Amino acid sequence: MELVRAERRDEAIALLLPAFRRKVFGLAYSFLRDREAAEDVTQEVFIKVWRALPGFDGRASMSTWIYTIARNASLSALRARRPQSSLSDPEVMQAVESLDPVPSADAMVDRAAILRLVDQLPTKQRQVIMLFYMQAQSHEEVATMLGMPVGTVKTLLHRARARLQAAAAQVSATA
Amino acid sequence: MSTPDSELDRHLRALFAGLDTGADFDARLMARLRAESHTEANERALRAQQERARYRQAVSELQSWRRSVLRLVTLDTLGIGLLLVVAVVAAWPHLGRDVMDLSRQYGRYIVMLLAILTAAVPLVGMWAEQTRGPLRSP
Repeated sequence: MELVRAERRDEAIALLLPAFRRKVFGLAYSFLRDREAAEDVTQEVFIKVWRALPGFDGRASMSTWIYTIARNASLSALRARRPQSSLSDPEVMQAVESLDPVPSADAMVDRAAILRLVDQLPTKQRQVIMLFYMQAQSHEEVATMLGMPVGTVKTLLHRARARLQAAAAQVSATA
Repeated sequence: MSTPDSELDRHLRALFAGLDTGADFDARLMARLRAESHTEANERALRAQQERARYRQAVSELQSWRRSVLRLVTLDTLGIGLLLVVAVVAAWPHLGRDVMDLSRQYGRYIVMLLAILTAAVPLVGMWAEQTRGPLRSP
């Protein structure tokens, strides 16, 4: 806040970037399900934050403010581009493969299947699952990011996991 | 595919825990912010320039309005003076003896006073203009 008051926005952004880059990217990715689009939105979010920093009055916390900007930017980007990509698109699968340099063949099959199942979840459940496992499994952080009560996040997470487990059991039974 | 809780967690963590932006993200963003900063400074300078031009125009219009009001007031005063003279000349033959005596006695002073008042109006206007001080651009 002192940097903002001193109109040293570049320094303020340099401090905010390491703290929020991944979170904003994750939030955008949970909406857009497209790595490149999520990166573009993340850039836009930080530029909007940089522009709006002089007007930030500190009534809401910085994280709440940034996540609100990120949600709005993601929704705008989502409306602007149709049709939606899917988590199980080849490029997403490739990105997943690149996360773990040497996965076993079984693990790859499992992850690909899990990814497809996550993709089939209702939007909010999918977002909660993605952000929960991305953000070191913190319900509070996910709630702040999505602008939801913590209880709602817990419920959505519970339902999503139950669905995933049921679907995974069905997949293994048919395999 | 096995489905115990912990395995599902493990898979989901493996899928999403490493999700992050590309390596050059920060550098690209800082470059965009520098460009944005440059554009913003240019826009600010342009806005200030436009604001100064608007102010100069407003000052010029105000000065022009003041001059025309002064001219109007001067002409009005002259007109009123002329009308008074015409009225006095027209009424002169019909005035009573007492009024004639009074006017003979004080007529020159009244005319002098009216002349001074008529001449004073533009002078007072100009003095008021001077004491307000000239308007300057910021």
